[in-house]
Amino acid sequence: MNKVLYIIAIAGCLLAGGCKKFIDVNQDPNRPSSVQEALILAPAELVVTQSMYAGNAAVIVQEYLQTIALNQPVPNAGTYYMVPSDMDGDWTILYATCLNNVVRLDSVAQQNNHPNYAAIAKILQALCWGQGTDLWGDIPFSGALAGADNFTPEYDKQEDIYKGMQQLLDDAIAAIDQQSTVVPGDDDYLYKGDMTKWKKLAYTLKARYYMHLTNAPGYDAATQAGLALAALDKGMEADDDDLKFPYQGIAGQENIWYQTFLPGSTLILASGFIDSLKARNDPRLTYMVKPAEETGLYTGRQIGSAPGSLEAYSRPSDFYQGAGAYNYVVNYEEALFLKAEATLIKSGYAAAEPIYRQAIQAHMTKLNVSGSAVSAYMAARGTLTAANALQRIMEEKATADFLSVENFNDWRRTGFPVLKKVLNGLSEVPRRLLYPQVEVISNPQPQQSARLTDRVWWDQ
Amino acid sequence: MNPKPYLLLIVAMLCCAVMRVYAQPVPLKGRVTDQNGSPVPGATVKILHTGKGTTVAANGDFEISHEGNAVLEITAIGYDPVQVNVAAGQTTVAITLRESKKELNEVVVTALGVKREKRALTYSTQEVKGAALVEAKEPNIVNALSGKVAGVQITSSSGTPGSSSRIVIRGATSFYGENQALIIVDGVPVNNDETGNLNSGPGTNRLADIDPAIIENISVLKGAAATALYGSAGARGVIMITTKSGSAAAKKPAVTFSQDVSFETPWLPETQDKYAQGEYNYDTKQYEYFDGDIKKTSSSFGPLMDTLMINGQKAKKYNPAKDFFKTGVTSNSTVSVNGGNGLSDYFLSYSYLKQTGTTPKTDYDRHALFAKYNTKILKNLNSTFQLNYSSSLNDRLPEGYILEAPIWTVLTAPVSWNPLPYLNPDGTQRVFRYSRNNPYWVLDNIYNKARVNRFIPVVTLNYSPLGWLTITERMGADIYSEQDKYRESRGSAANPTGRIIEQNINFRQFNHDFIVNATKDVGNFNLNLLLGNNVLSTYTQTEYAKGTGLSIDGFDNIGQASSISYNETHYQNRKVGFYAQANVDYKRTFILSLTGRYDGSSVLSQEKSFYPYGSVAGSFVFSELLSPAVTDVMNFGKIRLSYATVGNDNVRPYQLNTPYQLPQGGGDVPGVAGIIFTNYSFPFQGQTGYLLSQTLGNPSLKNERLNEFEIGLETNFFHNRLGLEASYFARKTNDGIIPGVPIAPSTGYSGTTVNAARMQNRGIEILLNARPVQSKDFSWDLTFNFSRIRNKVLYIYNGQSQIGNGFTSIIVGQPYGVIVGSLFKRTAGGQLLIDDAGLPFSDSTGVIGDINPDWIAGISNTFRYKHFSLSFLFDMKKGGDIQNNVDGYGYFYGTPKVTEDRADRVVPGINVSDNKPNTTVVNGQDYWRRLSGVTESVIQDGTYVKLRTISLGYDFGRSLFPNTFVKSASLIVTGRNLWIYSPHFTGGDPEVSSFGASSGSQGIYSFSTPTSRSVNFTLKVSF
Repeated sequence: MNKVLYIIAIAGCLLAGGCKKFIDVNQDPNRPSSVQEALILAPAELVVTQSMYAGNAAVIVQEYLQTIALNQPVPNAGTYYMVPSDMDGDWTILYATCLNNVVRLDSVAQQNNHPNYAAIAKILQALCWGQGTDLWGDIPFSGALAGADNFTPEYDKQEDIYKGMQQLLDDAIAAIDQQSTVVPGDDDYLYKGDMTKWKKLAYTLKARYYMHLTNAPGYDAATQAGLALAALDKGMEADDDDLKFPYQGIAGQENIWYQTFLPGSTLILASGFIDSLKARNDPRLTYMVKPAEETGLYTGRQIGSAPGSLEAYSRPSDFYQGAGAYNYVVNYEEALFLKAEATLIKSGYAAAEPIYRQAIQAHMTKLNVSGSAVSAYMAARGTLTAANALQRIMEEKATADFLSVENFNDWRRTGFPVLKKVLNGLSEVPRRLLYPQVEVISNPQPQQSARLTDRVWWDQ
Repeated sequence: MNPKPYLLLIVAMLCCAVMRVYAQPVPLKGRVTDQNGSPVPGATVKILHTGKGTTVAANGDFEISHEGNAVLEITAIGYDPVQVNVAAGQTTVAITLRESKKELNEVVVTALGVKREKRALTYSTQEVKGAALVEAKEPNIVNALSGKVAGVQITSSSGTPGSSSRIVIRGATSFYGENQALIIVDGVPVNNDETGNLNSGPGTNRLADIDPAIIENISVLKGAAATALYGSAGARGVIMITTKSGSAAAKKPAVTFSQDVSFETPWLPETQDKYAQGEYNYDTKQYEYFDGDIKKTSSSFGPLMDTLMINGQKAKKYNPAKDFFKTGVTSNSTVSVNGGNGLSDYFLSYSYLKQTGTTPKTDYDRHALFAKYNTKILKNLNSTFQLNYSSSLNDRLPEGYILEAPIWTVLTAPVSWNPLPYLNPDGTQRVFRYSRNNPYWVLDNIYNKARVNRFIPVVTLNYSPLGWLTITERMGADIYSEQDKYRESRGSAANPTGRIIEQNINFRQFNHDFIVNATKDVGNFNLNLLLGNNVLSTYTQTEYAKGTGLSIDGFDNIGQASSISYNETHYQNRKVGFYAQANVDYKRTFILSLTGRYDGSSVLSQEKSFYPYGSVAGSFVFSELLSPAVTDVMNFGKIRLSYATVGNDNVRPYQLNTPYQLPQGGGDVPGVAGIIFTNYSFPFQGQTGYLLSQTLGNPSLKNERLNEFEIGLETNFFHNRLGLEASYFARKTNDGIIPGVPIAPSTGYSGTTVNAARMQNRGIEILLNARPVQSKDFSWDLTFNFSRIRNKVLYIYNGQSQIGNGFTSIIVGQPYGVIVGSLFKRTAGGQLLIDDAGLPFSDSTGVIGDINPDWIAGISNTFRYKHFSLSFLFDMKKGGDIQNNVDGYGYFYGTPKVTEDRADRVVPGINVSDNKPNTTVVNGQDYWRRLSGVTESVIQDGTYVKLRTISLGYDFGRSLFPNTFVKSASLIVTGRNLWIYSPHFTGGDPEVSSFGASSGSQGIYSFSTPTSRSVNFTLKVSF
């Protein structure tokens, strides 16, 4: 009998020897462990422009700017209701969806000695860090994106992040200047591998970020304006240079703003924006806004009021919200208005006037507004004066930068266009966003006590 | 591997040393059979006063030597012991055993299909007979167990035919992993995943593929001590299903035919029908009528229907729900035949179930074929081959609060609006409001089909070379293919361009067990040793194609889509296990049981892929030591105690690394709230792409561990007329695996997989059996079961105190599954604070409900009088909160019954500005709409008492067709869910989970097909 059990036991051992091999089947057949640059670039461009620059945080900022309203009972984001967990997804998009990938793209491109890919990756990084620090102030920068090597990256000072962004843009320009023959093709939705345009974008962004620091402690507005003007000399020169994501509009490939304004979100335009266009008799109203389905009128929803019929409110026009429309991230008009503002600071309102007019004209042309309507509007708006110049420039910039987060940065820097606290607002108009709950829990840092009405470093 | 194979050897040798065979030269050959003439293998034959004994072989034969006159004692599990005198020199003997009527000799199926006497068990199990399952008239076995087993919580999902049900034994043990019980059919694990729904709402739990009519009994193994032999997956409790067999005794085939027909009507939430569609007009201060065609609104805050005139006519009143739902019809036909010839036997069964739902165009068809053939290949080698085949087709519609779901616009439609026709003259949808589909349009333009073909073959070989030794080889497989299809036509509110989804799933699982089982009596000891090896391999392939932008109406091929995305996934995992169990029974009074298992799993870190665990348990049958005067009242008494620690690998494959993945369907941020639609998938505009996975791999992932302590008491009184079993258990999960636990996103990742969770369950289970009346013509049986489980989350991970889990949250210090939502702002004294508009408000979120019941219980009664039988089962749940999402939306729309109260009012409370009692008058619409925005207002206590089944049967015997070949016939009328008492719940049936059986879907009542009350007629005839 012992024999039988010996055999069983020995068989067991032999089987056991093969066990380790038998269960060695944990290699993922569904997901690759390495890919080339083009495969990262394409989705990275989509997520940076769409999930981050037109995502949840970007829409909330538009509610603060009273451009977009949520048709829901109070309190809601539009009445400045926010809990830290509302921001969890936005930080995931910022760091995990966007930055982790564009930083990886950068390193893969450097390993493969493809400087143009590295340059694009760096510019996209600058766009991500800019969005992150402008909305949240101090954020993890030097110690971020280290995975298991650093589960609790410290929060860097916003000033240091700004220096880092300028460095990234400089490095990008230097990489483009290497004139590598390896350029992206259709994997670059934004510029189709046109590195000249990427370079103009880099300079325009440098100007944008210089101008953000006009009020920053220890920085001088005139110096910043000078730096911006110098950068703009090599910046965008025409609508063709716009950083905009093209959508084909077919099913599954609809413009992000089309998706944002689908009925399920109950988002529509706010009265603040529409009423300001009406008040100025701006001919762009009918070019930028669609009449309400139920009434045929141009009606924005008053944020903080009781919810009404969703179809009694307007949505953006097809130029912005069509399924096949572009999602504008940085446009030529912004470059012009930056130049106008910088010129105002350096040389006064009279010198800024022609650039200001050129900028309005450019936007109206882009919208296809007729020449006579343009001139009538210009006339009605009058010329710039010392007293009104900054306000006019920023109001017009906000119209031309419709749906852009940049309007929130500009309002904080300049106070224009003027915003009033909304009906049932829980506080004054927010000047930043809350740190997300998931960071507060997993990576506690002193900065996280910030409230919505607190100011970031450059907003002083 | 680096386990200790020597251990096995040592154990094996020890076992051999103990079990030397005694032999003497004077032989006696004998045969032990039951009343039907079938052999009784495993019976013990002893020669009294000599210490000699042997065990009966598989064919019923035994051989023993004796000297002079002797007395043989033959004992076998489930039979009364007998003593037989053997004369000197006698060489043959035939012994017939009678099946024991005593409950204490009840035999139960334990882990690995090993039959053991219930009296000797060291842990808690509960058995449900096949007849009781069939009596429930539930096509899904899980539902058929409802209310019957202590410690088991069953939650049905929706009333759509084929919908899943959830079964959890002794509470949740994992945060995000599987919490439902392991299902074993005849020793082989079978898949019970929820599949078949490509949109919102429940799918089908795959156990539904098995026809309840083929089940002999179900044994529920609850604690870790009972299930440790099943390895990792058994840690969640085991539902052990034993299928029917043929009768081994030589006899003619017996054919049984049964036909069921049942009629179902839905349990609907109460809605108001006094007010028409419309909204409050703030200028006129009137409730204004909207006609739904020219003036649309989602709401029914219009004028009184009674006085409403439309075009000079009194307004016609519609009943949107009553008109939409219909009576469901279920037909179930079963035919089975069984027989045998002593050496082999067979059982064949075929059934066809056809269920049409109360929601039009939903149905479930199931063909189920089962065959089992049992034969002796050699004298001591028995084989069983069985095959279960089923083919099912399920048609369902999207459910819950998504735009595609028809029930949303059925339960909230205005009573003043005619939903038909559903098209406008221009071909667009005609709906009373914006942004939704007309429910009748949905019936013709949206469908979700799931077709499953499934095979479960099992081969079992039992070899008994020696009377005390049995070697078992069991090979089983579970193989199914599933074809799922979803279509949504152009013009749908949610997807204006339409879409088609085509999904194919290939699942296959192979299981192998090799078991050596030795039993031996030594003096006053009965020893049993079991050694075994298990290999389990599971593979799933899913092909998923989504096409959007449809161009041809009435044509369902995905080729027409203007954009198609495709995704394939493969998941493979493998496990090996070595196990051993030793039982020592001293004088049928003290029983000690030890188990050990050593498992290797492919999904864990290679360095930590093997892990040991085991259990120790003891029973003390104290009634053996009591005086006859006491045992006359209490004829059986046992105390049992056990401790077990079980390793578990409750995680999907491929969690160790951080690869790239194809961004699809915006699913790159799963489960994160607050994301505006990011509907994109790659390839995108002709470019493909990959992004880094947002879940950081953990290369050092190890098994989690479940520790459980259990103590129990089992007693029988008055010769088994009354039985009481009580158990207390305390189980704790340590190092629990949390896939995707949130980490700081600034690390570049949103989550990782860790061994961190700690959670405990403590509970009491009570089972009471009684037969208060027993006479020739009349009997009354009563069963009561009760369970009370307290769960507590002890630790999550690295400072995390709260993580989300679908509709509920996991919070340290709270039970698993609390509802977090917006809370009314209150004064310190608990009074509502009222804003300047005169309305209560919320400015914070917090815990507003706990979905776990305080306790659950079931009482079943069966009365038999001559040929009549009447039985009924009450099922009770105390507590357990539900988020009533139908009211949540309904308050905004003014459709639930309570919103009939819509007069102007002053909400009692304290004004937040001046701290004085509120005096501001508000209208009803503003009031209800404010409530709809605060989740706390729709959290309802889910307490219920249900008459789950009531059944009246008449057994005709031969009387109906005397002198024919008909052996028996019976007619049964069964009512299901005929009565529900739910004092705090305003929906239809509080026992619901609108989004399915998964852990994250629990605790919400939304716009799903209502569950039904039904009446069932069954005719059963045997030939």
